[in-house]
Formats: sequence, C-alpha cells, structure tokens
Amino acid sequence: MTGLMRRWLAHAIFALAAFATPLLLSGNRYFAFIAGITFFSVLWATGMNLLYGYTGLMPLMFGGIAGISAYVTIGLSANGWSFWLAMLVGSVAASLVGIVLGLPALRLRGFYFTLCSLVIQTVITLAFVYFVNLTNGDVGISHIPLPELPGGRQLAGTAYELVLATIAVIGVVVLTVIVESSFGRRLTAIREDDGLAETLGINVTRQKLAAFFVASLFASVGGALYAPYVGFISPRSFDVLLSLNIWVMVAFGGRGTIWGPVIGAVILAPVPFVLQDYYTIKDVVYGLLIIGVVVLLPGGIVGGVKRKGRADAPAAVAKQAAPVR
Amino acid sequence: MTLLNAQRISMQFGGLIALRDVDMRQVAGETLGMIGPNGSGKTTFVNVITGHLTPQRGEVHFDDISLLGRKPFQIAAAGLTRTYQAVRVFSELTVQENIATALVDAARPLDSDGVAETTEWLELRHRLDARAGSLTLYEQRRLEVLMRLVQRPKLLMLDEPVGGLSSTEVRATIDLLSELKARCTLFVIEHTMKVIRELADRVVVLLAGEKIADGPPAEVLADQRVVEKYLGSADA
Amino acid sequence: MSDTTLIILLSTITTGLMLGLIFSLVAVGVTIIYGSIWMPNAANGQFFLLAALFAWSTSVSWGLQPALAALLVIGSSVPLSYALEILLVRRFYDVPNRNISYFVLTLGITQILSGIFSITYGVWSDQFQLPPLVPGVTMLGPFPIANNRLAAMLIAAVLLAILFALLRFHRYGRALRAVFQNRDAAALRGVNVRGIYRMSFVLGNAVIFAGGVLFACAYSFDLTIAWTMAITAFAIMIIGGPGSVLGALVIGIVFGLTQAVASIFASPTIAAFAYLGAMLIILLFRPSGLFAR
Repeated sequence: MTGLMRRWLAHAIFALAAFATPLLLSGNRYFAFIAGITFFSVLWATGMNLLYGYTGLMPLMFGGIAGISAYVTIGLSANGWSFWLAMLVGSVAASLVGIVLGLPALRLRGFYFTLCSLVIQTVITLAFVYFVNLTNGDVGISHIPLPELPGGRQLAGTAYELVLATIAVIGVVVLTVIVESSFGRRLTAIREDDGLAETLGINVTRQKLAAFFVASLFASVGGALYAPYVGFISPRSFDVLLSLNIWVMVAFGGRGTIWGPVIGAVILAPVPFVLQDYYTIKDVVYGLLIIGVVVLLPGGIVGGVKRKGRADAPAAVAKQAAPVR
Repeated sequence: MTLLNAQRISMQFGGLIALRDVDMRQVAGETLGMIGPNGSGKTTFVNVITGHLTPQRGEVHFDDISLLGRKPFQIAAAGLTRTYQAVRVFSELTVQENIATALVDAARPLDSDGVAETTEWLELRHRLDARAGSLTLYEQRRLEVLMRLVQRPKLLMLDEPVGGLSSTEVRATIDLLSELKARCTLFVIEHTMKVIRELADRVVVLLAGEKIADGPPAEVLADQRVVEKYLGSADA
Repeated sequence: MSDTTLIILLSTITTGLMLGLIFSLVAVGVTIIYGSIWMPNAANGQFFLLAALFAWSTSVSWGLQPALAALLVIGSSVPLSYALEILLVRRFYDVPNRNISYFVLTLGITQILSGIFSITYGVWSDQFQLPPLVPGVTMLGPFPIANNRLAAMLIAAVLLAILFALLRFHRYGRALRAVFQNRDAAALRGVNVRGIYRMSFVLGNAVIFAGGVLFACAYSFDLTIAWTMAITAFAIMIIGGPGSVLGALVIGIVFGLTQAVASIFASPTIAAFAYLGAMLIILLFRPSGLFAR
C-alpha cells in the first residue's frame, strides 16, 4: 500500500459510506432525510472543529452565521438569482459579516471570547426577528423552492442528499489539508499557548481571522443548502441552540481530531429523530449530553484535546482577564 | 556595532512605577547580565523590549529600527526573541512539533542540517517524539532555547535560564550558554551570581525600576551600593 | 406640569425602579457566584423563571398564601443549590480554566430546564399571573400604584440592603471578599475556601430565586423572560465589573430605568440592542468593568 493511499484510506471509506447511504436509503424518504440532516451536522461539526478543536476558540455565533447565509441566499433567489450564484454570494457575504462581527471578539480569549460570541449570536437572532420585511420575523419563511439544476430540473430527493454527502466529504478533506499544512500548525500553536506562538513570530490575530473565515464558510455553505432542503427557516432555526448542538457533537466526538467530530455528528444528529414522538425532549437530551461531556468526557470519545491540568493554572488565569493587545 | 539601544524607558502600572528612565545599550557579541531583587523591573524591561508591554515613555532601537509600537511577532521577525521566567513550551505537542512550530514563521530559519545539528548539540535528538510536557524541567529549558535558535535570532533574551535547576544542571547550562555566545548575542536575567560572573561581559543592576550600576561584573559586584542594596540581602 | 406628564413620569420612575431592583438582585446573585467560584451562571435566567413558575404553582395551583409561597420557593433553592454543588459544581473547583467549563455546563442546564418548561408549563399556559401579595392601590399624587408592586419593591430594596450589609460587615462577607480578591492568600489566612464557595453558590442562587419570586409577584410573565433575564444579568455583571456587588447594584438600577424609558419611546428590542452594545464595548475596552474591585 502506498503512503498516499494509506493517508487517505479513512477518507475514502468515509466518502464511500457517505455516497452509499443516500442510495441505500432512497426507498425511504424519512430515513434519507435523517441522512441529509446528518450530512449538515458533519459539515458544521467539522467547521466548528477547526475553531474549537484546532484554534481553541468556542464560537457560539456559528449558527447565526449559517442563518445570515440562509436568509441572504433565499432573498437573492427570490429576486430571480440562480440558487447557486446566490449561495456563493450568500456564503461569502455571511463569512465576511461573521468576520466583521467577530473582529472584536478575536481580541478576547477563553470565556470572554465565548461570552462575546454569545452576545453576537443574540444580536443576530434579534436582528432576524426585528427586520421583518427581510426575514418575515418570528413567523419564518416556508415553502422555500428547491434549487434548480442546469436544464431546468430541480435538485430534489436522493440527488440532494448526494450533493450534501459531497459537501460533507469536501469539508472533511479541506479540514485535513488545513490541519496538515503550516496554517494548521500555526492554529494548533495558538490553541496551545497564543502568547508563546506570538513570541515565535506567528501573527496570532491574522491566523485567528483566517480560521474564522474558513469556519464561517463551513457554517454558511451549510446554511444556504439547509434552507431549501428543509423548506422552512425561522430565527429559531439558527439560534444559539444550533451552535450548542454542534458544539456538543464536536466535544462528544473528540475535538482536535479529524474523525471525532464526524463520529459525534453521525451519532448525535439522528438522536432527535430516534426520539420521534418524544421530539420535544430533544433539548433535554442535548442538555444532558452537554453536561455529560463536560463532566465525564473532556477529551471526547476519540480522546482529543483534554482539559489542561492544574500545572499551568497561573498563566491561564492571568491571561484570561485581559484582552490580547 | 550597537545592537540594542533602549533610552529612558519608563513604565507605570497604575500608581506603581516599574521602570524609571532606564537606559540600556548592548553591542553585538557582548553578553549582558541583568540582576536585581524580585520586583525590581527586570522582566518588565524584557516585556517592554519584546513588545509585550508599551512603555509610557522611552525609545527602543534594535539593529537601527525602532521597536516601539511593534507587536511581539514583528519583533521576533526582526531577530529579537526571548524566553520566559516560567518555562513555556507547547506541552501537549511533541518536541518535533515544537521545533516545527518555531520554524513555521521564522524570518531566517536554520536549514534542516542546522536544525538537526542544534538538536544534537542540545541533546534533544533522542526526545524528538516525546510530548514536551513529559520532559524534565532541564530538557524543557533546552527545548526553549532550541526553539529560539532554529530562528537564528540576533539577540536572545533569557529570563532566569537556570531557575529551578539542580547544581549540576546549572553547571551544564553555563557551559552550554558560553558555547552559545558564539552563535548569537545573549541578554541574561539571573539571580544565580555564578551564571552572571562566568557569562556576562557587562552587568546591569536594577533596583526598584532604576538602573543603579552598569559595568564589568567584577567591578559592579564589588560596588558598595550594589552590595548594600542587593547582594547583602540576596543569597549570592 | 400637567397631570398626564406627571403620570408618565411617575409611572416610568416606578417601573424603572421596580425592574432595576429585580435586575440588581439577580445580577448580585450572579456576580457573587462568579466573583468567588468563577462560575458564569448562564442558567441564572432559567433559575429566575423556575422560581417564578414555582411561586405560581404553589400559590395558584396549591392555593398557598402568596407570602408563604414566596418564602417556600426561596427556601427551596437551598437544597437545590446543595445538590447541584455536590453533583456538578464541586468537581471543577481546582480546574484552571473552569469559567469556560462552568459556562458550558450552565448552558447545558439552561437547555434542560427550558426543554422541561416548554413541555410542562408551556403546554398549560402562555401567561402566568400570581394573586397579589398585598391587595389595594395607593395614590402617588395623580398616579395609582398597586400596593402589590410597592410591597415587592420594598422587599427587594430591603433584601439588597441586607445583602450589602452582610457582605460589608459580617464575618462571612469579609471572608467572601477575601476569596474574591485572592483565593490562595485567603486560604493561607485560614479561610475555608471550599466552604465559602459552597456558601456563595447557595446564597447567590437564593438571591436569584428571590428576584424571580418578586418579579412574579409584581408582573405577569411568560417563558421567554428566562433568556432575556440571563442576558441582562450577564450584561449588568460585565459592565459593573465581574465580582463587584456595588457594580451590579448600580448598573442594575440604571438598566431598569433605561428599560422603562426605552419601552415608552422605542421598543424593548432597542433596549436589548443597547444593553448588548454596551456589554460588547465594556468587554473590549474595560474587561474588568466600571466598578473594578
């Protein structure tokens, strides 16, 4: 077996499984839909993993950025744009908005960053509710048309799930390439000790911004595709709970590993559907999961980055309080 | 040639004066030692020079460029780097990964032969795959230095390089550092007088944020004021 | 000054004070817990709502006298806090970056409680209203104010005064403040740090519960107040300075008055945008808050 094959073996297996699943499930729309939702979760968890797992930032505005992209894409397509062009513009725009909103947050670390991202998420959600003529407010937008394919056909059913599988696979490959590049090495250094990284010549703010942009692209491509797939969105579709649910997939699977968050997404995304009639207790289940992960599984099931020991406490405490200069 | 020229550096935290009008010049190739009691402003001085703190007043020139207002990563790129008083490595990463991280944005990185040779010299070759956090303190101190040397700095500021080491390790570190003097210019903060006596070409004494002596070690360490204010009370 | 203007003025001031006192209570509870344990309790809003709902259940469903119900609810926070402390909070006391662990943990609690509320209380009713604590109306000049609200306001003010005195003058308060400043130094001086942690968790939650009960006495409420309260309390804590009781007190009142004014001239959403904006600015430029200790 050549080195190249060995290196990408896991990816090949994952791609095979991803493409086979919609085909195998094509007889049952309900199961196929669960697979589709799982692909979104894989994509989103992989994107959040870049920030939470490899850069050490916990972004609670992740869902909000997906939402901006979804609303922009729908708005543009409703005005006659091709869905795919709208998605491109919507994703890039949402990522740029994410950077602008996140710019101040990037000066902070640890809890203060996360709190700041929560505030930004809340502002985005409030804006979704407030700007009724753009978003239809709390009522949400329903009957979202499916994307058109060249030749006038609509992207629907199994074909849509195959597109989602492709996006999920691309997401995982992109993350792998990043992690193995010098960009990934810089991000890992920032996660481990951003002060030391800076002393070694790494431009911490610029690298964080780049990571933020890439992760936001994951969020926003997912958001744009999510809206027509589900057919309905409202401010609640992209609130802080979405970010938290994706976070728990990453943390449960094992942050800072390629496959941990993928496994986390594959296990957890179908949970609400498995509960079916008890769908309403989804929040309770996810809440219990969050607590379980924090208390029992700091490294996730794959054993990713663990909580730091007591040894480096003083430095960690001291650098929490002040923003990065 | 003057490598580092700091003039009238003043730094205040709230009402507390950490540095008052400190001047410091260092020429290339000269090893400068800095001593002073705890809280006399030594680390603050290094933080100012390396861009971690912005002083209220003063100027810093390095290699004829002004450093004030530059960020630590830019100062590192200019060839001025430092270690920390409490040893600081990427403890969850391997030694190999630590070195690779030091190389990733180095302005003038060593080539791979140079890296291998320096790793060998610092006796870390056999530890390349170990997690940095699992190394002994002495090994971590050497790794810190290695991570700076692969960047080929012009000036390396060492903040208490033998802190916490045993007397044999101190001896070995002094030997390493005196060999290191041939590779780059050193600035050493140290409490252990043996290190200063054996390594430094010139010694500066800080007391409560002010420079009270500056000269050859033999002269400064015999200075009545220094003896009274510092050495008399310290475990020199 | 015409009567209408006077009425608007008085109504704004009383509403503002009422809200402000409740905001202050909750924010003081949050800041006591953060200042000592370093726990940003994101579930404070759900605790607040839990107390309000519990007060509604005991007084409306069980028919308990409102004052008695209020005492019962606030008392019930004590065993709840103890249980949480033993099960979850205690294990993180020595973790260095525990504030982020706690933050996530309490977000999990938030999700659980909000899930539970929406499938229980949420199914039963949209709006919850308690019978008045004290019946009748008092005239402030031309402006009528319900005795019920006056009583709630008075109790909130008295509670805040007692808390303030406790923290300033009592032995426990002094120990608590020593832990706020420097946990290791306090331990060296013989303060039982873990005991103080536990006490502040219990006290902080009791204060948050008291805020919830008083709010329920004064206003009718729905399930959405939890999230609003959580964000508001965090904003107050960050702006006032994490761990600063005085800061929480002053900024809480300011927020209450702001909200009352904003509700007249703009919308509550605008008020929320204003809080969040203020909080962001403080986070970025003065993370130790306006009343840094």
